[in-house]
Amino acid sequence: MIYTPQNTDEIQSILAQAMDSQRPLYACGTRTKSGMHCQVSAEDSLSMEHYSGIIDYEPEELVLVVRAGTRLDEIDQLLAKHNQMLAFEPANLSKMFASEHGGTIGGIIATNLSGSRRISAGAARDYLLGFDAISGRCDQFKSGSRVMKNVTGYDLSKLMCGSYGRLAILSDITLKVLPKPQTVQTVCLTTDTLAEAQASVSQAFTSSVEPSGGAILPVADRFTSYIRLEGVAVSVADRLTALKNILDGQGEVSVLEADESTLFWQQITNAEQLASSSGQIWKLSIVPSALPQIIEIISSAHTCSYIADWAGGLVWLNCEISDTAASSAIIRNAISAHGGGHAHLVRGEAGEHIAKFQPQPEQLAMLQSRIKTAFDPLHILNPDIMGHEVPDSTARADAGEKE
Amino acid sequence: MLLPNADQGILDRRAEIVSALKSMLPAGCVIDDDKSMSAFDTDGLSAYRNQPLVVVLPETTQQVADVMRWCRDNAVKIVPRGAGTSLSGGAIPLSDGVLLGLGKFNKITEIDYENRAVTAQPGVTNLGITQAVQDEGFYYAPDPSSQIACSIGGNIAENSGGVHCLKYGLTTNNVLGIEMVTMDGEILRLGGKHLDADGFDILGVMTGSEGLLGVVTEVTVRILRKPASQRALLVGFDSAQEGGQAVSDVIAAGIIPAGMEMMDGPAINAAEDFVGAGYPREAAALLIVELDGPETEVDFLINAVSEIVKKAGATSIRASTSEAERNQFWAGRKSAFPAVGRISPDYLCMDGTIPRKALPEMLTRMASMSQKYGLRVANVFHAGDGNLHPLILFDANQPGELERAEEFGADILRNCVALGGVLTGEHGVGVEKRDLMGEMFTEDDLKQQQRLKCAFDPQHLLNPGKVFPVLHRCAELGRLHVHHGKLPHPDIPRF
Repeated sequence: MIYTPQNTDEIQSILAQAMDSQRPLYACGTRTKSGMHCQVSAEDSLSMEHYSGIIDYEPEELVLVVRAGTRLDEIDQLLAKHNQMLAFEPANLSKMFASEHGGTIGGIIATNLSGSRRISAGAARDYLLGFDAISGRCDQFKSGSRVMKNVTGYDLSKLMCGSYGRLAILSDITLKVLPKPQTVQTVCLTTDTLAEAQASVSQAFTSSVEPSGGAILPVADRFTSYIRLEGVAVSVADRLTALKNILDGQGEVSVLEADESTLFWQQITNAEQLASSSGQIWKLSIVPSALPQIIEIISSAHTCSYIADWAGGLVWLNCEISDTAASSAIIRNAISAHGGGHAHLVRGEAGEHIAKFQPQPEQLAMLQSRIKTAFDPLHILNPDIMGHEVPDSTARADAGEKE
Repeated sequence: MLLPNADQGILDRRAEIVSALKSMLPAGCVIDDDKSMSAFDTDGLSAYRNQPLVVVLPETTQQVADVMRWCRDNAVKIVPRGAGTSLSGGAIPLSDGVLLGLGKFNKITEIDYENRAVTAQPGVTNLGITQAVQDEGFYYAPDPSSQIACSIGGNIAENSGGVHCLKYGLTTNNVLGIEMVTMDGEILRLGGKHLDADGFDILGVMTGSEGLLGVVTEVTVRILRKPASQRALLVGFDSAQEGGQAVSDVIAAGIIPAGMEMMDGPAINAAEDFVGAGYPREAAALLIVELDGPETEVDFLINAVSEIVKKAGATSIRASTSEAERNQFWAGRKSAFPAVGRISPDYLCMDGTIPRKALPEMLTRMASMSQKYGLRVANVFHAGDGNLHPLILFDANQPGELERAEEFGADILRNCVALGGVLTGEHGVGVEKRDLMGEMFTEDDLKQQQRLKCAFDPQHLLNPGKVFPVLHRCAELGRLHVHHGKLPHPDIPRF
């Protein structure tokens, strides 16, 4: 059964029924990114695709309130009319998953999926000011607000971002929006080694040219770094000159003008360079300076193509890693040996030895499980979406006890 | 303002508790004599004082974990404390609770310029981080007014802001990772020098949790390259309405200044009397707009903002032409609190946030409240993000004035919520605004927040009496009621 509620009363009814019958729900939007997560142990779905539309938009307050099922392209169009944007640059993975569009804002929040500007402007989690939701206990609740600065109560918005719908069904979502930069240019630098490329990007980010993006693409046997500069035209022009001076002598330099830049960063944000190839796609969040070492370890064991973003802190990896203990451990071991981070098998099946999401240390996993139980004691919402869950029995007895 | 009643059973066991703590900590890490403990009896909300049961100042994360596990096993409450600068009473001790001070955690453990990250112990001051990296041209962006004294661990607890968070965000937007200890005595690492959480963003919800979910023992923050140049505009208006409109117009033009601060007439004059910053005394509202970045950008935006404020009715506009002049513009704003302290024996500093557009309406309401309560008020705002800091002037030696000032403050916050805003923008709820939480949240909202607390601390041992007006037992919060075979909300129709 697929439920498509149109209002919060209906959402509540569906949840109440799911709880009565102990039939879990696959809570989703338009399922454009369903390949990102594990198989949900639920026969029924609650799709938010018909709970959509703009509730309020106040450009001069930098605030947008939308229903969770609102499509991203609709939001982009509206904001563009007022020269504004979602500054975290939500990724559109439609090419990766062969879907028709980029999905809904609820899906972006559930996956905390941010693009190239993540490194300078923050993630989806930094722009969710507040929300209304229905918990796995069927209670309507809210957190946060519509103002920029708020520390009243726990910041539950952070918990919701990247929670894959495991805690509550978000109904209304309040976002901070920002003005679009007046113009954009990208400096490209070609070097011989990945270490040189990473060092150049790092140098740009530690200088005062204020880059808003830093990507690295392997090209044949060489590497091209892309450094994005955004802002008012006079400033971009000046910083472009300054950046060229900084990079002087490090390799061949060229510039992407505004239109080319816009297109290029869209492709990077959406990992389009890898999307059309078959095989697994991994997303690695790492310490930027560890990029060369981590890539070296992985490349010595597997044939992979990759692109890097976030000044080296994000790697999209396209390869085929077989489901054996030896081969699947290489990526996550390389990360943990070089400063830490995590790896997510964004596209590809989980296996006996391949977890789609980064396995958590035991104590942390237990705390996560207790948090889940605090919102959804009967595990009605998206069970097993991030991998097989073993409900914490003590927490469950405590928090889910029936009278 | 009441703290939970002290548990006589715990008070009776004081000697045993002190001796247990002394046995697990090095000499000098347990303070139990009244005179020494009195240094810890309040925080930045100094109208309230309370002597703790005992003070511990551990030196290592393991010691923090040992203390917390022992307290959990023995049902003893803990109040964590950084530098004790909380303006909402977040670190006010409990007479039946151990005060856990992180003052000895005062070292910067790693500076990593390449990845623009500093790792520090929680007792390092906010400014201490900037000072450690400024010679290399870097700084840590969140800059609460107390930055010279407040600790980075306390900043995490309170999600501290400052005058530059319009452009650079609050603490939560600048923290990359923490090490923390739970009430169970478990040591957890969240985040690091990489971005984003794997699993629930516990780092995100720890930030601003006011010491109720865990104790932070290490912090990794993002540092930024100092902007190439900074300039400020000092703009006077005949009315707060015009000033408020100018703020909206700047944002609507697509400009996000590094800071946008406003002061009203009484605050302007108090500051001018105190430091002589050259503020226009006749102005009803004064706006300081700071722009930072590359020089050409700053010059360009200074002109753009000047045009906008002129159109909005500015009566005076000065743009800083030197660093000295910029600092002079800020001198009055930065000394606004002590300046007000000179014209009144006492003052209460409030901290609501409202939508920017509601600023003129809020000022009108504030004026009539000032009359109603018979107390003066001076206003400084982080106007760019709608965060108000009304200073209510009173004299604590006059019977009833403190109570009246508190009622006035509560009324201001109720009005903030009514205008679409919130109770606190950066100071935290603590004990000060605890009993007003119901103005902003429903019972269900608050219960859900407390269920989260139960996932961390089911016995309510960590900083109880703060943030939540009513403490529900976790078993009660977790229970699901079954009625005629139906679980929650039997009144809701099923599909």
